[in-house]
Amino acid sequence: MNLLDNLLLGLTVAFSFQNLMYAFVGCMVGTLIGVLPGIGPVATIAMLLPITFHLPPTAALIMLAGIYYGAAYGGSTTSILVNLPGEASSVVTCLDGYQMARNGRAGAALSISAVGSFFAGTIGTIIIVIFAEPLTRMAQKFGPADYCSLMALGLVAAVVLASGSVLKAIAMVFLGLLFGLVGTDVNTGAQRFTFDIPELSDGIDFAPIAMGLFGIAEIVVNLERHLSRSGTIKVGSLWPTRDEARRAWPAIVRGTALGSILGVLPGGGPTLGAFSAYTLEKKISKTPEIFGKGAVEGVASPEAANNAASQTSFIPMLTLGIPSNAVMALMVGAMIIQGIQPGPEVMTKKPDLFWGMIASMWIGNLMLVVINLPMIGMWVKLLTVPYRFLAPAILLFCCIGAYSLQNSTFHVYQVAAFGVLGYIFSRLGCEGAPFLLGLVLGPQMEEYFRRAMLLSRGDPMVFIQRPISLGLLIATAILLVLMALPSIKKARQEAFQEEG
Amino acid sequence: MSRLLSKDFLSGVMFIAFGLAALYFGRNLQMGTTVRMGPGYVPHMLAYIMMSLGGILAVVALVTSSSERTEAPKWRPITMVTIGIVCFAALFERAGLLPALAVLILIASLGGQEFKLVEVLGNMVVLAAICVVVFKVGLGMNISIIAGVW
Repeated sequence: MNLLDNLLLGLTVAFSFQNLMYAFVGCMVGTLIGVLPGIGPVATIAMLLPITFHLPPTAALIMLAGIYYGAAYGGSTTSILVNLPGEASSVVTCLDGYQMARNGRAGAALSISAVGSFFAGTIGTIIIVIFAEPLTRMAQKFGPADYCSLMALGLVAAVVLASGSVLKAIAMVFLGLLFGLVGTDVNTGAQRFTFDIPELSDGIDFAPIAMGLFGIAEIVVNLERHLSRSGTIKVGSLWPTRDEARRAWPAIVRGTALGSILGVLPGGGPTLGAFSAYTLEKKISKTPEIFGKGAVEGVASPEAANNAASQTSFIPMLTLGIPSNAVMALMVGAMIIQGIQPGPEVMTKKPDLFWGMIASMWIGNLMLVVINLPMIGMWVKLLTVPYRFLAPAILLFCCIGAYSLQNSTFHVYQVAAFGVLGYIFSRLGCEGAPFLLGLVLGPQMEEYFRRAMLLSRGDPMVFIQRPISLGLLIATAILLVLMALPSIKKARQEAFQEEG
Repeated sequence: MSRLLSKDFLSGVMFIAFGLAALYFGRNLQMGTTVRMGPGYVPHMLAYIMMSLGGILAVVALVTSSSERTEAPKWRPITMVTIGIVCFAALFERAGLLPALAVLILIASLGGQEFKLVEVLGNMVVLAAICVVVFKVGLGMNISIIAGVW
């Protein structure tokens, strides 16, 4: 197998009519929710999980991936035009993008962000292609103990890089792991925490939890805050001037590089990439004073970074089966619904799915540029739909989606229950993402843990005797220690304050 | 008093409560040995770790008073949204999609800050049309629109 064969296989799969359609639908839905404030990619993907149940696996994943990067794209459109970030990852784009729009350069800002995103998406895809095979081969050497340690590292790193209190987030991971254990124990058949409810014996379904925690809780919080909208703005010429283009290119390249690296890290992803890229641009710029007043670099680099990071955050999920953020946790959920256990086997056992999905990411990025630039006017109009119409609609789709999972109203009640829980979490400043990661990894982690202990005859030393496992655990420990250091703690708090 | 209402203290209490619940409801699960773990081994382990983390959180919040105070919840949105979903679930199979949809949208709209009956009715009509076209006709889902009629 070489790279070209793989890519060719991927392109054949991705270019089938059906898959092109789903990529298109995913991109459109993604852009739509990216444009609409008050509903994020996590909630949308959670809402659409039940629908993907009826699709072939490749098509389902292609569509969900399209939503993910489409959302990043749509979010930047509204950031630039009306100073409303549809997504967390486009908050920084507001800073200079909206200023450019006020200077009458909205069109240029939009096209620079589109071209930058496309460039970054292309590079991101190439990186996935290059790194997927070696990483997968490495992962196949992992024993149960190594896997268990790898998951520990993934969970801790995700928590450390995510915002807020580390201690709270780790406790949320454990709570998620506990919820993941609900259902029939695979080894003994014992019923755990099922309360004699037959629907729970297969475990708590992933989709209603995600819908409740993210969709419902998000709606409630938005209803409390009373979202308001500002006026619209003229787009103007889409062509950047020669000077703008000259300044944008190097920034796009830098943003792509930074975003690609940060995307692979557990807990990284588009938001972190965009923020770091903006900070970097401001630091290295000869004219830092123009930032915040419509600097082209301040749009180009974060936009490239968030798209590059959206792409490369697929790497740990696809090769190791370890989700690095909430969206990836949902992708893992979607694969499990389809009966595919994410991990290194996916590439060898389902090469068409693996490479088809990767190729479709590149096609999706191309679609976004080609389709969306001419459609900007329409997206802007959508911004005028008030939230009091949207909220009931989102609720309704959540309910019907939950019902359609297994044609059972039990799942709808579950959505309500987890909505309340999600609301409590948000009131207490506990984040849902670590919970979700724990929930997804819980059953696997227990399985590997028990198998490792069985193989070592009950000796927990196995986790430090195997070199791979030991290395991973040391990395985990270093991360935890670093977080406890006062200087880093402070810098971290400042970084997140800037974000909020 | 304000320390007792801080976000960290309350979340610590929440984690301990979940841990206790896990221990209580998992009390009949066998622990097994470290070599052959029973179904109860990992849940117990997780519960104890989570409770210790919750305990640390709560104690630190009490001692240092560094944590923010929990904002008082606004009851209306969360109550209305939850009631709306529960009513939807209760009505969906018995009465069909349209009645369930109407009730959900009505109740959920009451959770917002602005409520204009005409707008809500309009929203219902539009969403009902979309749902029928997408879910019943388009995806061919096996759901009844109005129980006993369609």
